[in-house]
Order: sequence, then C-alpha cells, then structure tokens
Amino acid sequence: MAQVPVQTIHRDPQLFYWILFPITIVMIITGVLRHYATVLMASAPKHLDQKTTREQRAMLHGINVRGNHHVLSKPSFTARRDALITAYESGAFLKDPDNRGQPPPNPMTDPGAMEGMMGMMKNQMAMIIPNTLIMSWINAFFSGYVIMKLPFPLTIKFKSMLQAGVATKDMDPRWMSSISWYFLCIFGLQSVFNFLLGSENAANQMAQQMTQMGPQAGQMFGPGVDPNKQFLAEAENLAVIEHHSVLDGVEQRLLDQIKV
Amino acid sequence: MPFLSKTTTAFGGLLLAHACYSAREHTTLQSLRAATAATLTSSPAAAVSLPVDIVIETIISTLIILLGLVLATRPLRPLEWRVWAGKIEREGEEGFTDGSGAADKGFVGNPFSVLESRPNFVDIRKQRREFAEWVQKGTAQQ
Amino acid sequence: MAPSVLHPPSHLSPAEALAVSQQAPGILRASAAAVSSSPLASLLAGPEDPELWLQYENLIVSCLRTGDDLAANACLRRLAIRFTAGNERVQALRGLVREAEAKNNGELERVLKEYDEILEANDTNIPVAKRRIALLRSMGRLPDAASALVRLLDFSPTDAEAWSELSDIYLSQGLYPQAIYAVEEVLVLAPNAWNIHARLGELQYMAATAPGVSTGSYQKYMAEAIKRFSRSIELCDDYLRGYYGLKLVSKKLLSNGAKAMKQADDSEFALPDTSTVERLNELATAKLAAIVRHSTARDRGWRGYSEADVSAARVLLTEDASAIKR
Repeated sequence: MAQVPVQTIHRDPQLFYWILFPITIVMIITGVLRHYATVLMASAPKHLDQKTTREQRAMLHGINVRGNHHVLSKPSFTARRDALITAYESGAFLKDPDNRGQPPPNPMTDPGAMEGMMGMMKNQMAMIIPNTLIMSWINAFFSGYVIMKLPFPLTIKFKSMLQAGVATKDMDPRWMSSISWYFLCIFGLQSVFNFLLGSENAANQMAQQMTQMGPQAGQMFGPGVDPNKQFLAEAENLAVIEHHSVLDGVEQRLLDQIKV
Repeated sequence: MPFLSKTTTAFGGLLLAHACYSAREHTTLQSLRAATAATLTSSPAAAVSLPVDIVIETIISTLIILLGLVLATRPLRPLEWRVWAGKIEREGEEGFTDGSGAADKGFVGNPFSVLESRPNFVDIRKQRREFAEWVQKGTAQQ
Repeated sequence: MAPSVLHPPSHLSPAEALAVSQQAPGILRASAAAVSSSPLASLLAGPEDPELWLQYENLIVSCLRTGDDLAANACLRRLAIRFTAGNERVQALRGLVREAEAKNNGELERVLKEYDEILEANDTNIPVAKRRIALLRSMGRLPDAASALVRLLDFSPTDAEAWSELSDIYLSQGLYPQAIYAVEEVLVLAPNAWNIHARLGELQYMAATAPGVSTGSYQKYMAEAIKRFSRSIELCDDYLRGYYGLKLVSKKLLSNGAKAMKQADDSEFALPDTSTVERLNELATAKLAAIVRHSTARDRGWRGYSEADVSAARVLLTEDASAIKR
C-alpha cells in the first residue's frame, strides 16, 4: 500500500463561520424568496370561453370514443362514429368556422400566446437575476482560496468543478473553493426546499427545467396548432377503427371463468 | 406481527453493526501491521482482503434486515381489476384497514359511485324533506 | 362508524348524514375561522390542507340535509373567504344553501334568476349550470332541465356526471332509448365502471319489460341486458347487483323461452341459446345464495354489502324457490 502523503493546509476555522454558513443560508433564503415570488407573480389560469371549451372537449370526446369503442355495441358505435365524423369534417365544433383552411395565426401576434410567453419570461428572470447577483457577490468577496476539505476522496476529474477560481495544479480535489460550494448548493438544496416549502415548490431551478423538458399535455391545444387539421385527423382515426365489442361472447367467458 | 418484524429488523441491524465494527478493526490491524512491516523490510505488504466470515456476516445481516422490513409491510393490494373491485364490493371499508383498525385515508369505496350519486346535481330540497320524514318516523316509533 | 367527511355525502342514508353533520361543530372549532387567499398570508401560516375545503363542501351538503343551516352557512363563509365569493364552486354552494332555505316557489324562482344572471356573465360556469339544472328538475320542470343539460353537454361532452344525470332525467320521462344512449356515453368516458355496466343492464331490462315493446326490440334489449350484467360481473368479482340482474334477466328469458327466437342480423347482439341462459341462471342463483348466506352470517370479508341489497336478493331467491316447488 503506497501511502499518498496527506496534504495539509492550515485554515483559519473562522472561514467556516464567515463563508460556508453565510453562503448556504443566503442560498436557502433566495430559494424561499424565489418560491414566494413565483407564487405572487403567477397569473390565474386563463378563462376559456364556451366555444374554446367546446372545441377542446369535442376533440377529447372523439378520442374517448375511439379509445373505448369496445364498450359499445356495434349499432351504437356506428351511430356515434358517423355523427362525429360528419361534425368533424363539417367543422361544426370549430371555434370560428370561417377561419377554416387559413394558416394559423402567428403566435407572436396572438395575445393569448404572448401571455404564456410572458409567464415563461417571468420565471426565467426570477431564476437568472438572483443567480447572477449571488455569483458576483461570491466572486467579489470570497474567490481565490479554498475553504473546506470534503470528508471523502474524489478523482481528479472533480478538480475543475470543485476548485473553480483556484489555479493550482497539484492540489487534492478534496479541497474546494467557495464558488464550488455555491454550485453544490444550487444542485443539492432541492430536498431542503422540499422540506421547507412542500414538494411542489418553485424554489429550485433544476426542477423547473425538468418540467420544461416535457410539455406534452399543453401541446395539444397550444397556439399554432390548427384545430381543423386535428379534427380531420381524428375523423380519419375514427373511420379506420375495426369495431369489436367487449360484450361479444361475454357470457361464455363468464361461465368459463367462474366456477361455482 | 409488528413485534416480530421489528425484532427481526433490530437483530439484523445489530449483526450489520457488528460486521462493520469487525471490518474496521481488521483494517486498522492490517494497516498497523503493514506500517511495521514497511519499516522493517521496506517492501510493500500484499493487500489483504477481508476475512470471509465478516463478508458472510454482512450479507446475512442485510438479508435479515430485508426480511424484517418485508414482514412489516401491509398486505398487498389485489392487482387484477376484478379482484380489487370485488374486494371493494364484498368487504367494503373493512377490507382496506391497516393494522390499527383505522380505514385507509385514500379509501373511496367504488370510485365510480359518484357517477350514480352525482353530488353536483343533488336535489337538496328533496333530501331535506326525506330527512325530516325520517326524523318524524323515528320520533313516532319511540 | 361515521362515514368519512372526505367523500360526497349525497348517497348516504339519513342516519349517516346525521352522523356526518354532527361532526360539523368539531371541525369548525378545530380549524381557523379565516384563511386568507392572499399569498402573503401563506408566508406566515403553515401549509394549508386541501382536505379541509373538501370537508367544508361535504359538510355543507350534510348540514343542509339535516337542517343545520347555521353550520352550513359557517362553512360557506369560510370557503368564500378563502376562495373569494366569485369562485365558481363557491357560487354553486351558495346557491345550494339558498335553495335549501327557500320557503316557497317565489324564492326558488329568485334563486333560479340568480343562476341565470351568473351564467349570463360567464357561460362556462359548469358548477352553477349544474345547480340550475338540478333546481329545474327539483321544481318539476323536467323538459327545461333536459334541454339545459343537453346544452351543457354540447359544449362539454366529456362530463360523465352530466351524462349520467341526463340518463336519469330521460328515464324518469320514460324515454328508454335516450336514457340508454346517455349511459353509453358515461361508459365511453369510464369504460371499466362496473356499476355503470350494471346500470345499463338495468336500463335495458326496464326497456325490454316496458309495455308495448315489439318482440324484436324485446330480444335486442334482453340480449344486451344479459351481456351488460355479465360484463359487470366480469369486472367485479361477487358483484351482488350484477348477479341480481343476471338472475332476473335469465329467469325472465327462461319463463317465456318458448317464444320463437328471431334470428338477429349480425350487427346486433343475439340472445344466447337456452342452455347458456340456464347455466347463467344457475350460476347467478348459486352466487346469490352464497352472498346472502355469508352476509347474513356476517362472515369476515363479506360485510361490505348493504342490508337492502342483500334482503332484495333474498326475496328474489325465495320467490324462485317457491316457484320451483309449485
């Protein structure tokens, strides 16, 4: 066992109290503040007028009929299918039937879409501004020296992450600088926020970025999607269904399955 | 049952702690021996792995803890739809109680019963009348 | 044991409703009188419990039912403080309270007018629209209620509860095909709801046994009824209601089995042959007997059935037994 000579750096214990704890506390407080700022800025969900509701729900209704066609008997399914296809193709459910076939409006000019973008912008700003401020604060006051030693060994790859701002080649990666502590706080405080604010908080930007990755639910009726095309596609989907009923031979299934 | 599972878990934990302690003692002893050997012969001593009994103790203690935790879980819910639905109908609230006897908080009975009771369309005046009649009948009987 | 306050109370028996409404003073005392909707207040207070609002809502219904208007108003006030008076559900609940307190038809008309005003300002206010329909129905104006409901369903065809209500209204008017259509819509939205399958079976049976039904549609209805009941049992083991219906339908079919069976074309369901019906009848009889036996003995794991259902099954079985003896 080759013994690596242990690097010892004598630090002032006051570093702990005047740098490590302040950074952590500031990070937590900004997280909490960000949460409440988002709550305050959140706009109420937009009120949909009757025609929009009708358009969306008629679409959903078609999808439901298509997905659960097996609970219906053949005549009742055919009746529903014919009615839905006719209505879809004639555009009876459209919000404004006059706009059929016209290109969808530019999302930049659509006020509804602008509102959604403003909301996103607000969230982004709530994330960026505090981060820049704290980062420059730390850089101005605490950069250029290591403040603590991690209690576990690390490989050399972590050097760039943990010792940002300290340009020494041979130092053990276990030593870390204040700016690295700040980065660790960004990534690692999620559970603290969960504990403080409940699991649906808006404090952590990581979680927000995660939710932005999968915006699938809102996509269906989002701006820029032509409802007429959706209806036509749905009509086609309905038309190609090969109907089978779950009621076919259900008595026989029951008798085979359940023995007295 | 909770007593049995807790004892098992505690026993497993004890074993695991013992294994940890043994491993630590063993490493200390080894490094001490290596240090003395290095000063005497200046040749690196071969790295010694943990004795087999400590390894076995660790594995067995983990298994015992697992067993204890598994014993402590509630009975599993039925997986098949019709079995689950049948349980709701047949046993009612009783089938969904935990060990202490309180009904499971999430228990809603038949989740589709709202489609027939239709709380948003409740005819409150009729219900009031019926309730008043029920009360009158109760007092008349007494 | 009192039923949980967390579930909608409209189907409870009077005794259970009384038990729920008697919890009202305790719940009202245990929770803060005013929870503000301002987000600044939430900085100071602890996290709020969404269950509390559900409890208030259900308490309002139970208390109105038992005549405890004071407690209902207290709950309503708290909801209005938290969610503001303009909230759709709060508006509907306020209407509910006023309906219950109304002494005569004039006051009901006034409530109805209020609903109309709210709906004029916001025509997608579904809770209030539903209250208005319920009030129309309660006042005996069935056609108005039905047409209002159809309008609601035109712009919101994915509302299973409303479809179910529509079916009920049609049924009370004796319009079986329409009622069946509406229940089928409920099934499209909730394909695995075993009670709705049984409900549809019941409707088909009612339609089949209604006076003046032609032989062809009688067979069609009966065939689908037997299939619907079978499906409800397939979805739910030991489903008392499903077996009851199956027994009823198969008994009926066997009693006039001599009737010549018209061969249905393949798009419609054909009646199963007599031996299958006999076997279904036997199965239903055996299962019903087992259920009645177990729940009369209060066996462990068989206590979920309601008393009324079990005694109805018992009556059906005794009728059957006496018919065989004769």
